[in-house]
Amino acid sequence: MTKINTASPVIELKDLKKRFGIGDAEHFALDGVDLTIQKGEFIAIMGPSGCGKTTLLNILGLLDRSTEGEYLLDSKDVSTISMGKQARIRSRQIGFIFQSFNLISRLSVIDNVALPLAYKGVSKTKRLILASNILETFHLNEREYYMPHQLSGGQMQRVAIARALVNEPSIILADEPTGNLDSKSSHIIMEELSDLHKRGNTIIMVTHNPRLTTYASRVITMLDGKIDTDTLEVLEELDPFAKKPLGKTTNAKKSTKTPRKKSASKATKPRKKKK
Amino acid sequence: MRFLLITHIQNARQSLKASRMRSTLTMIGVTIGVASITTILALSGGASKVVGDQINSLGGNIAVVRPGNVSDPLSGIAQVQAERSFSTSTLTETDVSSIRSIAHVKAVAPIMIMSGVIKGDTTAPSTSQVVATTPELSSISNLQIDTGGFLDPDASNQQTVVIGQQLSLNIFGSESSLGKTVTIRGLPFTVNGVLKYIGQPINYNGVDFDNAAIINLSYGKILNQGAAQIQQIDLQADSVANLSRSIINVNQALLTNHQDEADFSVLSGSQIAEPTSQLFDAIAGVSAAVAAISLLVGGVGIMNIMLVTVAERTREIGIRKALGASNGDITWQFLIESLAISLGGGAVGYLIGYAIAFLAGTTVLTFYPILNWQVAAVAFGVSVGIGVVFGIYPAIRASKKDPIDSLRQYN
Repeated sequence: MTKINTASPVIELKDLKKRFGIGDAEHFALDGVDLTIQKGEFIAIMGPSGCGKTTLLNILGLLDRSTEGEYLLDSKDVSTISMGKQARIRSRQIGFIFQSFNLISRLSVIDNVALPLAYKGVSKTKRLILASNILETFHLNEREYYMPHQLSGGQMQRVAIARALVNEPSIILADEPTGNLDSKSSHIIMEELSDLHKRGNTIIMVTHNPRLTTYASRVITMLDGKIDTDTLEVLEELDPFAKKPLGKTTNAKKSTKTPRKKSASKATKPRKKKK
Repeated sequence: MRFLLITHIQNARQSLKASRMRSTLTMIGVTIGVASITTILALSGGASKVVGDQINSLGGNIAVVRPGNVSDPLSGIAQVQAERSFSTSTLTETDVSSIRSIAHVKAVAPIMIMSGVIKGDTTAPSTSQVVATTPELSSISNLQIDTGGFLDPDASNQQTVVIGQQLSLNIFGSESSLGKTVTIRGLPFTVNGVLKYIGQPINYNGVDFDNAAIINLSYGKILNQGAAQIQQIDLQADSVANLSRSIINVNQALLTNHQDEADFSVLSGSQIAEPTSQLFDAIAGVSAAVAAISLLVGGVGIMNIMLVTVAERTREIGIRKALGASNGDITWQFLIESLAISLGGGAVGYLIGYAIAFLAGTTVLTFYPILNWQVAAVAFGVSVGIGVVFGIYPAIRASKKDPIDSLRQYN
């Protein structure tokens, strides 16, 4: 606990509220959220539909603004940051992964992945090289000039993750990244995320699926716009990597290591068949 | 930002390619508008250049006096010959003799253009003109004689006529019509000479000499019930250096004649080079109206299509914002797309405009349109203007979209 608290947190939320509607229709999607997230955490946010998970994620990703409360990103109050600077932060510090992938359908895979680099001001050739490199790590370099609709769901999500990572963001926000995928593809995607986590990225993932929390270092459940439970308060572990997530900890640990290569090879095989 | 601009351009190209039909149709409005503008400018430039070249080739010592105050170049364009032939000219024979008595003025020729039936063996087409002037016109305007001679200075009271080659062909069926009789307004004239073919229907005299019958001023007056209707006075100084001094003197002399009323203009050099063709003015007038309307319609079309594009791509805007695009980036993206439409339309319009101008130049008109950077600059400027004016609102609207709502939109 002490080790975590000494470093300055990446994200700090103080009594964060988000109101929708006015008068009779007034409704707090977030109703006083206090949350501190350290660098290198893998957080899974759970909760029933409408509990404010996605709203929280959008606010964390600077896509939305809170109505009340404070959001400190790298110890800086985001309400004091200008729109242009917020766009810069989104470009350089935050990577978004969506449930519906959100690839731009009229751009090829490599153009999609290279898009965030354009907003960072990287030259065209360099953009394509970087995008190609990152697609290679996701075993998608053979699909560079495919259009998104020519890919499977799992492949599309891997493209989306590649796109989220191409700017090397420190924070990755994933909104139900496996929500539209079958269990096999889900597994591959989660392996990728947990790999990123091991490389020191902060990952905040919203999910409905309790199984996926096994990959996380910390699980938060939300209810009616408030944080209901937080494993950080339960676990007394100091090292975030050794922390036991909820559920079948030992099985999960094994599954993160051993089937990794297997899954990678599995992912490449059906591609060859398709060709 | 530099890289981003290139990206936006590539992006615009891609998205326009994706909806090729729609983009092409949107471009048409701008194309027609810019084509009209290009045609007008190229032809008016060409006409001015023709007249300017004529004046230069005459030695640069020519000045003309025209009725009305045309010191303002805009009113000079408006003062077309058609109006002149219906209004009473302020220039008189007294003015001609006053100018003749000024020092350094070598030659003076009044131009009195009349309409009237010209008859030889057959009747001439109605486009033929009767010009009453003095023999000095041949030296001022460098009129070359093919056969015979020009109006005889020593016999200004003779009923002689000098006719253009085309007119000779029209009424006699041959170029050699020396000594034959031409009837103008019922009065018989003997052909004293036939002009060499000139092929310059547009010139500073406003007369197509190939198609004109030139008679002495005294007979012009007789045909016009004794009154001289002088539309223009040409004068030639004895040298280029003396021209400006002569012009000042002419101004003073005419002001005295006209009771200090400046109802005339003494023009020299490029001032004379105004387009003077009625046909040209008609084309220009119609084209200007077409250009203005089609540019407006084209602009509205661009705005319309850009609003549709923005609506279609709401989700994409949301994605781009989530990936780090600022409002400025989004504005530029759509503004460049609308600029691409208007510039594309403008470029095609520029080419079509010149195609029309050259076609008209070789068939209907007898001069070539002018090719210069000013026409290109105007075509470019108009295209950019249309693109920005009608593209900025959709672009700003796109950039103001809320990323959350945009992402939520069903694709």
